[in-house]
Amino acid sequence: MAPEIFAFYAFGAVAITASLLVIAQRNPIYSVLLLIASFGALSGLYVLLDAPFVAAIQIIVYAGAIMVLFLFVVMLLNAPHEETDYDERVHPLLRPGPMRFGAALAVLLVVELVWALGRGGETGSFPGGAVTSVTDVGRALFTDYAFPFEVTSILILVAMLGAVVLARREERG
Amino acid sequence: MSPLFIAQAVLTLFVFVMLLNSAAVMVYVERKVAGMLQQRLGPYLVGPKGVLQPLADVVKLMFKEELRPRAADAFLFALAPIISATCAFAAFAVVPFGAETTFFGLLREPMKLQVADVNVAVLVIFAIASMGVYGIVLAGWSANSKYSLLGGLRSSAQMISYELSYGTALAAVLVMANSMSLTAIVEKQAGAWHLFGWPLLPRWFVFPQIVGFLVFMTAGIAETNRAPFDFPEAEQELVAGYHTEYSSMSFAMFFLAEYINMVTVSAVATDLYLGGWQGPFADSIGWIWFLTKVAALLFFYVWMRWTLPRYRYDQLMAFGWKVLLPVSVVNLLATAAGVLYFGA
Repeated sequence: MAPEIFAFYAFGAVAITASLLVIAQRNPIYSVLLLIASFGALSGLYVLLDAPFVAAIQIIVYAGAIMVLFLFVVMLLNAPHEETDYDERVHPLLRPGPMRFGAALAVLLVVELVWALGRGGETGSFPGGAVTSVTDVGRALFTDYAFPFEVTSILILVAMLGAVVLARREERG
Repeated sequence: MSPLFIAQAVLTLFVFVMLLNSAAVMVYVERKVAGMLQQRLGPYLVGPKGVLQPLADVVKLMFKEELRPRAADAFLFALAPIISATCAFAAFAVVPFGAETTFFGLLREPMKLQVADVNVAVLVIFAIASMGVYGIVLAGWSANSKYSLLGGLRSSAQMISYELSYGTALAAVLVMANSMSLTAIVEKQAGAWHLFGWPLLPRWFVFPQIVGFLVFMTAGIAETNRAPFDFPEAEQELVAGYHTEYSSMSFAMFFLAEYINMVTVSAVATDLYLGGWQGPFADSIGWIWFLTKVAALLFFYVWMRWTLPRYRYDQLMAFGWKVLLPVSVVNLLATAAGVLYFGA
């Protein structure tokens, strides 16, 4: 087996296993860590796709910055184990209310995935070829995609301001 | 098994062992310099002038009992020091420490003195540094002790805050060098800055980027949790911070990670700002120049630790967000404008 193919399957297996374990076990800290592992494996896949820039950004932004905040929240809420207030022996589809809805959604998702993967075959290739250099990414971002880029920045700014306004305590004087 | 592959494997092992050694040397230097600054002798009993002291320390740590609090999360408690040490070692992989060499004709093709030449090396270092935070955060959380948890939380808040200025300061260098590869950045620094046609100063980025360099070093000290920014382990407040509950070799791993991180930050600063291995006769003795510059920065690190008192926590946050970050952003904008105006 060529090393690239082997690496592809190894990273893929790690990503899928870690993602499944994120929802399959109860300790939220472990969920966060497994999600980080999954991001790491994805970053490995990006390297295999000749996109080291995207791989590094994946680690810095998602695995680094965002997941640290996740971990913060989980640690501060101090919720070591998920509490369940229902009988775990009952099948999810037979449980009351929202739980049944969630189970139905999950089943739907699995069906969709199987359907999408089953179509398979022609996957096509990237229209622009491999975007490997940082220069290319930067140029595309600030010329062709300048408007969406700026709109996204403003969106994030608005979200940040919103968080500040909501979190600020009312001053009583 | 091509000769180049063997050479690469040997090089990787060499870098690994040398990093371990550098930590030992730094422990000795730290204690000696601390002694000098405090007008005492420092270690002097083990070996001539106490040079074998780090060895004695390691033996002592090995024979200590490995303790784990009963309420600790066993798996994460064991994993945290491993993450810390691994990230510390991994970051050095992309740092070049000498010009290409054939080892005096031993190899047919010249080999790079660098474990991996990645064209986004700067980002890789950044990514690994951001992974290193997890070692400390998890150590703080898994021990299930309030001192540890506070240390871990402080550390992550500090590292996230200073990572921004660190990255922005570094981006100014990337703009000047027009590359993200550390090798390319060092090569850009060959030659000299000229004044009226006369070579005035070596063409290091530290001279046009003096503000960036200061910001980078300050943020670097904060990133490695060293005094005066050693809040995660503020002894008076938190006993020992995130590694309060650690003993024996798992404590040693945190210790090791701290020193290796210092070496890495100094090495990166040398490559980015001080011209890496550039200097007279760089082709043959470039690595000596590199080591000299790194050693100077490391001495600076130790010097700072034993000279400056620790900040207060709110001062730390205010300094990071209200001084360092604006300064580095203005520096980046000014650099970009300069590069546009003068055409690099």
